Amino acid sequence: MEKIYRVETYKCIACGKCELACGFAHSKDGKAGTSRIKIKKIGIEKGMVVVCFQCVEALCVKSCPVGALVRNEETGAVDLLEEKCIKCKMCVISCPFGNIQWDENFEEIAKCDLCKGDPQCVPFCPTKALSYL
Amino acid sequence: MKKLKSLKELSDLRKKLEKEYNNKKEIFVCCGTGCRANNSLKIAEDFEKILKENKKEIPVIRYLKKTGCHGFCEKGPLVIIMPEEIFYCKVKEKDVQEIYEKTILKNEVVKRLLYKEPKEKKEIEKYKEIPFYKNQFRIAMRNIGKLDPFSIEDSISKGAYLGLEKALKMKPEEIIEEIKKSGLRGRGGAGFLTWRKWEAARKEKSDIKYIICNGDEGDPGAFKDRSIMEGDPHSVIEGMIIASLAVGANEGYIYVRDEYPLAVETLKKAIEECRKLGILGENILGKGHTFDIKISRGGGAFVCGESSALIRSVMGKVGEPRAKYIHATEKGLYDRPTVLNNVETLADVGAIILNGGEWFASFGTEKSKGTKCFSLVGKVKNTGLIELPMGTTLRKIIYDIGGGIVKDKKFKAVQTGGPSGGCVPEALLDLPVDYEKLTEAGSMMGSGGMIVMDERTCMVDVARYFLKFLLEESCGKCTPCREGLRQLMAIYEKIVKGEGKEEDLDKIKKLSSAMKVASLCDLGRSAPNPVLSTLKYFEEEYIAHIKDKFCPAGVCSDLVIYEILETCNGCGACRRICPVSAIEGKQKELHKIIEEKCISCGSCYDVCPINVIIYKKKELRNG
Amino acid sequence: MVEIIVDGKKIKAREGNYLLRELKINGIKIPALCDHLSVEPWGGCRLCLVKITKEEWKGWSKIVASCLYPVESGLIVSTKDKEVEKARKEVINLMLARSPQTPLIVELAKEYGIEKTDYEEYKEPTDCILCGLCTRICDQLGMSAISLVNRGIGREVAPPFNLEPPDCIGCLSCAYICPTKFIKFEENEKKRKIWGKEFEKLLCKNCGSGTVTKMEAEYFSKKQGLDPSVFELCDKCKREYYSKKFEELQR
Repeated sequence: MEKIYRVETYKCIACGKCELACGFAHSKDGKAGTSRIKIKKIGIEKGMVVVCFQCVEALCVKSCPVGALVRNEETGAVDLLEEKCIKCKMCVISCPFGNIQWDENFEEIAKCDLCKGDPQCVPFCPTKALSYL
Repeated sequence: MKKLKSLKELSDLRKKLEKEYNNKKEIFVCCGTGCRANNSLKIAEDFEKILKENKKEIPVIRYLKKTGCHGFCEKGPLVIIMPEEIFYCKVKEKDVQEIYEKTILKNEVVKRLLYKEPKEKKEIEKYKEIPFYKNQFRIAMRNIGKLDPFSIEDSISKGAYLGLEKALKMKPEEIIEEIKKSGLRGRGGAGFLTWRKWEAARKEKSDIKYIICNGDEGDPGAFKDRSIMEGDPHSVIEGMIIASLAVGANEGYIYVRDEYPLAVETLKKAIEECRKLGILGENILGKGHTFDIKISRGGGAFVCGESSALIRSVMGKVGEPRAKYIHATEKGLYDRPTVLNNVETLADVGAIILNGGEWFASFGTEKSKGTKCFSLVGKVKNTGLIELPMGTTLRKIIYDIGGGIVKDKKFKAVQTGGPSGGCVPEALLDLPVDYEKLTEAGSMMGSGGMIVMDERTCMVDVARYFLKFLLEESCGKCTPCREGLRQLMAIYEKIVKGEGKEEDLDKIKKLSSAMKVASLCDLGRSAPNPVLSTLKYFEEEYIAHIKDKFCPAGVCSDLVIYEILETCNGCGACRRICPVSAIEGKQKELHKIIEEKCISCGSCYDVCPINVIIYKKKELRNG
Repeated sequence: MVEIIVDGKKIKAREGNYLLRELKINGIKIPALCDHLSVEPWGGCRLCLVKITKEEWKGWSKIVASCLYPVESGLIVSTKDKEVEKARKEVINLMLARSPQTPLIVELAKEYGIEKTDYEEYKEPTDCILCGLCTRICDQLGMSAISLVNRGIGREVAPPFNLEPPDCIGCLSCAYICPTKFIKFEENEKKRKIWGKEFEKLLCKNCGSGTVTKMEAEYFSKKQGLDPSVFELCDKCKREYYSKKFEELQR
């Protein structure tokens, strides 16, 4: 793991560009996916960033009955292996922070994977609240 | 029964039993399944009663023996008087008293119960002089019919466990070497070299190893394993113990198909008695080896005869085949090294060890050694169970042993290898029967079923019959077998109704070759055999069904109508046999078939003593 | 890692691992309908056939189902062999007769140039291709609530005696693993229904919406060793809660 994904929430202006970027990064057949990053508006041009912490002792990993959630040693993220996932949604309810969602449209689990080492939200953040160093 | 603690104790017991049991006046009543079905149990009971009533000093059992199958099922119930070997066939209850009075008391022969040679109409007195037996050579079935399968003492007196005695003094490598010399191959059908299996399992390092005996004989018309298990269970147990010595196994299973309740009884009793005598269990005959056998009963699925499905079934799972890219000798039952052998294979083992591998290899052909059991059935005069050296020609089997075709009709084909086998035509009657030759002919050895067919057999219908069997027995796990059989069946249903098209034959060939390549297990891979072999040798019959809309054998009822010629003498045989009362006519007057009622079953044709019933093409009604 | 040759190209593969999975990792496309990484391979659909040989086999080759074949060093694999393609096409042809209206099968058949099956179409077509994924995942999760019943052409996926399956926990894994979406279920915020059995969902303490069934939460939390207290809120309410918490901290 060479880089880390850093969030500085005090810089967030709640513009929502990261959410759009994330949705498009996980799009299929021209349709945007569910954004893995969520911005909670907490004032005028002020937002709170809610995104997966890629916990060290991740409950989502523990909750998965088929071992579809695994640590990606290169990016440090907990990746969801789509070919293994059986969509039981245990990870969705197990994440203490609510950072794994069920994508209704694609009928799949939506989880931040740091875009396999190139998080698409980062370049779209105008205030550099998100960075990947 | 006292536990035997050494080899010497066993041979001492044997000497004692030999004196006690052999060369005595005995009545053998065949109580194999065929004879039982013909009331042989009652006959045995009657003999018992007579003997008891006459209060002989010697215990009754020494006089009367309910033996296993003698093989000549066609002539059952069989009664053999020993030691003179007088052979009585088709014995009825009313004959019992006469046999007792004449043969037992006065050593006179009851002529009318003897076997009559069909050609010269000569009675044959002795068992071994009857062509059916004279032309056989028995190794796996060496003791069947000679002993009471429920008595270990009787079995020991006839030489059971002599092979084991010898094997217990040998090293595992030496046992395997002897089997290697014998050239013994799997008698269940595939013909895999037995020693290779044993050697592979022996080399595996594992805390537990298993020996499984495959007694799930499911082929229609095959009953050799049944007869061995029912008639001489100790030969199977002996083979298993020797296998366990060679491989280093301590646990064994005999998988018996559910339809063989008698085999379960004999085996259960045999295992119990072996345990009591110390032949099974811990420290066998004081030689330090531990081996025990459990019986596992099948649930009636044909596919469970396939090794990987059988292993799953023993474990209590659904009997479905698995890919065998990892052999059972490496990972079989409960993922442990497992040797799985057929009943007949194991029954051969004791004799091989006793007499030496070279002795066994002196019978048979270059690649197929020893003898092989066959269930000879169908339109042959002497149906029954036989054992012959490999390489015996079909002609010899069917004509010399089988006595030719019933009513001396024309031979058409013989189906070998069960539903996955194929049909061998008349042109190949001189084919020496061994693994290779049958495969070359498009059939296979299988479990040794031989169904003889005469001119009144429609080969399209035969293929359809086997397809139907396989369709019902396919487990349905893999696509080509499940769907392929369904589609093949659909094509055949059309052909026998006269709705077949010429391109259907190409479709059959195309589909068959895909099934051979793509199916998961040998059931699917060999399922097209009956189709392809009939198509290969009897294509003209297919063409007749498709183009002429006619069934040359007069079997396919949608394509033929039956007619009585005017030369009919009015004997009424046809009228009496017709299952749907479609024949009318007064005695000694011309009979007539009412077309609307007739189902074209052909019973009248077969029964007519003067051959005045004919069949011809049925004009298909349009639409 | 060992070296194997696939369609003339050398690739590296893990020895002993199933060939199909190694081929997929290396980006080699091969159809397979009964394989899923979360269940043991089965060899039922027979589409993943390949021809294999080795130099030391001296010209001898065999056709195997790659999903079950363990990788060995020096294996020479042909995925496009003529005989293989022919057999595979026939299998697809048979599948199309069974499921002539199932998009997945229709698409696959088109790829192999089949517009219409050569064989007799089922009078009552079905989407179920009997790949057994649903029953195998159910077994693997430890429920075995459904299974393949009957044999041969009568085979189907069903709960015991076609009644409400007592062991089903309503996790929907069978429905989602099904490649043809044959297994149907109904669901709303509070309830879920599958195999004729109705399940109450575990509801969020805050908003009252449910994500999984109560039985599922109970079963998996025990099986995976989770503290059920983490299930009290739904993901949305959890995010809401924590964003407020963080806001307070930030202040």
